[in-house]
Amino acid sequence: MSGEEEENAAELKIGDEFLKAKCLMNCEVSLILEHKYEQLQQSSDDAMNQVSQVFEKSLQYVKRFSRYKNPDAVRQVREILARYQLAEFELCVLGNLCPETVEEAIAMVPSIKTRGRAQDDEAIEKMLNDLSLIKKFE
Amino acid sequence: MEYSTMFLKVQLPWNVIIAAENLKPGSLMLQRAILIRLLSDFAAKKATKDMGYFLAVTTLDKIGEGKVRQHTGDVLFPVVFNAVTFKIFKGEVLEGVVHKVLKHGVFMRIGPIENAYLSSSKMPGYVYVLGENPYFMNQKMPKIAKDVKVRVVVIGTKWMEAEREFQALVGLEGDYLGPISSPDM
Repeated sequence: MSGEEEENAAELKIGDEFLKAKCLMNCEVSLILEHKYEQLQQSSDDAMNQVSQVFEKSLQYVKRFSRYKNPDAVRQVREILARYQLAEFELCVLGNLCPETVEEAIAMVPSIKTRGRAQDDEAIEKMLNDLSLIKKFE
Repeated sequence: MEYSTMFLKVQLPWNVIIAAENLKPGSLMLQRAILIRLLSDFAAKKATKDMGYFLAVTTLDKIGEGKVRQHTGDVLFPVVFNAVTFKIFKGEVLEGVVHKVLKHGVFMRIGPIENAYLSSSKMPGYVYVLGENPYFMNQKMPKIAKDVKVRVVVIGTKWMEAEREFQALVGLEGDYLGPISSPDM
């Protein structure tokens, strides 16, 4: 991990799981883009504080579609989901959509049932309960 | 279905070109010039068909040795950096916001995608209601109107080379899809 990555990790209170991640949840992207936006605004150099339209629209989107706002909660969501042998994209879709029932979770991410892993309904239910607990105590 | 989702963290190698007149002595100035050039090129690039939209550079990992370009005197620096990108995939379930309601369907914003089209033919049970603020109505579900958040499935995507952007086709055919009423935070 480079020095700058470490610095970012410390500032954003990012966990180890996130640093390895390739797919990001809306709430994680929200923290990254908001942080970047603040950095750019504080920069006195005009060349540094231009944000693109893509950046602005994306920031608007992730702020609106983040289920978790608190950086600790965001970190916990990934850590908890990481325990359940999910593929990265499955983890992100679940973290973004926060299904309330096992049925809904399977409808959103059918692959969690069909991959032949130990993902029975009980395990999925436990995972959803863990997620909703984070939300309660956010 | 392609197994991926919207926001991705990627590591990319790029070439950054610094004009001869910007090559001042002192490595700190040079590093800064390279970073500024990278950020500028990154923002200007906007999107590619393969990688999707370019959102933000997160870290600059490596700056390689500069190579002088024969005819111009510019110097080319190979760099490696990390960035967040955005691309959506067929079969993916995600959420967006309606920004335009027409007779045959609605247009939604999903991330930086401005025009994700939800056709009325993909809105089972919904009928168009004419008026100053038109919307789509359903007996059993909340209405679909401007500024409503809707959960959809991606039916297809299209890369528009000239505009450097993606368009998408989305639908509501499937369980647990449709308008969502989570509190706006």
